[in-house]
Amino acid sequence: MALPLLIEGLRVRRGFRTVLHDVRLRVAAGEVCGLLGPNGAGKTTTIAAALGLLVPETGHVRLFGEDPLDASDGMRARVGLVPERDGLTDWMTAADYLQYWAVLQGRPIGPEGVTALLSEVGLDASPDLLTARCSQGMRRRLAVARALVAGPELLILDEPTNGLDPRGRRRLLGLLHRLARQRGVGVLLCTHLLGDVERVCDRIAVLAAGRTVAEGPLQDLLGRGGNRYRLRLGGSVPKMALCVDSAPVRLLHQTQGEALVELGANVAPETAWRALLFAGWPIQEVRREAGGLEALYLSLTGARAEPQPAVADVTPDGDLA
Amino acid sequence: MIRIVLHGIVLAASAAVPLASAAPRACDPTAAQLAVTVTPDPRGPTAPRMGDRLAFRWMVVNHGASAATGMIVWLTLLRVDTGHEQAVDLEDWSTDKAVLVDNLASNNIIRRTWTLRLISSGTYRVLVGVATPDVPVPTVAASEAFTVAPKLVVESIRVLPVALGIPFTLGILLAFRLVRGHAGTGTEDAD
Amino acid sequence: MSPSAAIARYEGGEILASPRGLAWLLAAAAVLSSFALLLIGSTELGLLDNAQVVCGMAGLAVALGAVIAAVMGVDAMAGERERGALLPLLATAAPRRSILLGKLGGQALAWAAMVALAAPYLWAVGSTGQNLGMALLGLVLFGTPVVLAAGAGAMALGALLHSARAALVASLITLLLAASPLLLGPSLRQSALGRGFDAVNPFSGAINALDAMIVDGESLLSQGWKLTFAVAWLMVAYAAALGSLQPRAGRDLAT
Repeated sequence: MALPLLIEGLRVRRGFRTVLHDVRLRVAAGEVCGLLGPNGAGKTTTIAAALGLLVPETGHVRLFGEDPLDASDGMRARVGLVPERDGLTDWMTAADYLQYWAVLQGRPIGPEGVTALLSEVGLDASPDLLTARCSQGMRRRLAVARALVAGPELLILDEPTNGLDPRGRRRLLGLLHRLARQRGVGVLLCTHLLGDVERVCDRIAVLAAGRTVAEGPLQDLLGRGGNRYRLRLGGSVPKMALCVDSAPVRLLHQTQGEALVELGANVAPETAWRALLFAGWPIQEVRREAGGLEALYLSLTGARAEPQPAVADVTPDGDLA
Repeated sequence: MIRIVLHGIVLAASAAVPLASAAPRACDPTAAQLAVTVTPDPRGPTAPRMGDRLAFRWMVVNHGASAATGMIVWLTLLRVDTGHEQAVDLEDWSTDKAVLVDNLASNNIIRRTWTLRLISSGTYRVLVGVATPDVPVPTVAASEAFTVAPKLVVESIRVLPVALGIPFTLGILLAFRLVRGHAGTGTEDAD
Repeated sequence: MSPSAAIARYEGGEILASPRGLAWLLAAAAVLSSFALLLIGSTELGLLDNAQVVCGMAGLAVALGAVIAAVMGVDAMAGERERGALLPLLATAAPRRSILLGKLGGQALAWAAMVALAAPYLWAVGSTGQNLGMALLGLVLFGTPVVLAAGAGAMALGALLHSARAALVASLITLLLAASPLLLGPSLRQSALGRGFDAVNPFSGAINALDAMIVDGESLLSQGWKLTFAVAWLMVAYAAALGSLQPRAGRDLAT
């Protein structure tokens, strides 16, 4: 069975600017995947590409095994979307709005269906409330109900918990978890709230500057936290494959004067640094990155976590201190 | 008696008379071979008002020994009220303004009916002129003068209720809608 | 109900049910009322003046309808995009063509509301004359393609330009350009270029047709080519709007 969403090597240009360079992402049925990244990393553009709203330069996007640009209109009904801004209509009641949306999705629903949907998101007491009179939290929940109106097999949510109080947030996360586990819905949750990700996500992808810098099961990525090191560099890094005792040293991220590397499970750090220095890496300082999702996120996206003690200082002549 | 000067032709016209009793008149001072007459259609209203349509029948006879070629027949409307004497722009009164007759054989007749839409009140006279390139001084016929009775075209009793009532009604609807839409804005979540 | 009918009802409902739509209708009514009130007390008006008043009122209704359609068209694309409503709409199963037809249908409903609004005004100033029937017929026949072409063109601009404000300004400038023959009058027609522009311009074509039918009393048949031009412009604008909704490299439709 085809994955609800698979993106590989996605490169997207907006005007004359390339906004996505190399994005990969997969969302399986029954799985909640978190899409993380700083503002401007390309999350919303990735969602637009997933929905077939823009044409990629290279790479491919597959929605249920089909290219969304060529897929039939009906295929889009299999996807529910909660965008960052809800875009609701102020002059309609919640019930009328959901019935209108069901018609657009080609799956009209009656009053019972509306009641069930509103109940699912906790708005069952307000079917006849004008959306203009809804609070921010109610609007978010109505946007979620709108996404569920056609019984989607893939649910894409962009910052869905914005404006929700803690109880509403917990309720929504519980709903996402239920949808994935009980109905086999694939969920792509795009959020800045790492607590939400830790609570419900099975898998994450981290975007930074238009690239996927990490992608995989959340527990696997968290488990490797102790093997990530931030290197302060005195110059540029030579372009060559890195191997220390046959175990790769992965270059996760590089900025001006800094690099984030992940060592293989059995690689002794001192051995790795010597090998890198020998290969021409101008390493000046090495710091171990902290564990946990926040540290992982910060290190992957180029921001510094709270400083950890330096594990090695490198003298100008290459000796480890 | 009103004397009107038009293109150098002196016309004599009597005071307005009822249309039904109007008799055709011809004026043919220069071109004896072409004769023109104009008469109102007797089926038209006897006391016309603004908005009515009046038809005028004209007829040109070629009395000459040879055919008249390139003959132009045209319509002129004169307003003859004292103080308002003028030739009326036919633009909005009639789509029939002039006709070119290529050839009218000797002793032949051409007849047409032209219709006027009575746009403004006042007293008028219809003239029909005919000329050829060879005889540029026209032959002109004039109808009897006729009076168009005025009619009030914009009645404030109709305009006022519409012009004031509709915005008022829409304003009430808008206010109602705003009150309904804003009442209770900011309702808290009821989890 | 089909998606396009649902969207048309939704969009048309907005103009009749939302405060914003009612405010637009109120503004249009205020303009028509001001024009009608200027005539109060004018006892010297002839039928020609009356016909010109009726023609002016009908032309004003077309112009207001075109402005409202242009605003609705920009709002339907750029406005909805800025409010975040376009992204979920384009992500639904509704085909692009249905979305576009639905939005055009909404503009047609708004135009129907505008005609319904203008009809009493036309009756008030024209029922004692002889041009009311022609005015209403001309308003519906010529106003509809012109107004919908303005709306479809504005949708295309709204989809292509990134800012709703820029799209609105571009749409209104285009409308102003289309109306320029009426403002410049006969001086424009002194050059071949001006005459050509006047001949192919749907807006001035509609106003000229209204003038011919209402003031000059010409038949509808004699205005057939002007109607053909207006419908042709509507089809061009529709094709442009449909093209603007297709995904292209380098352009994001919805965000």
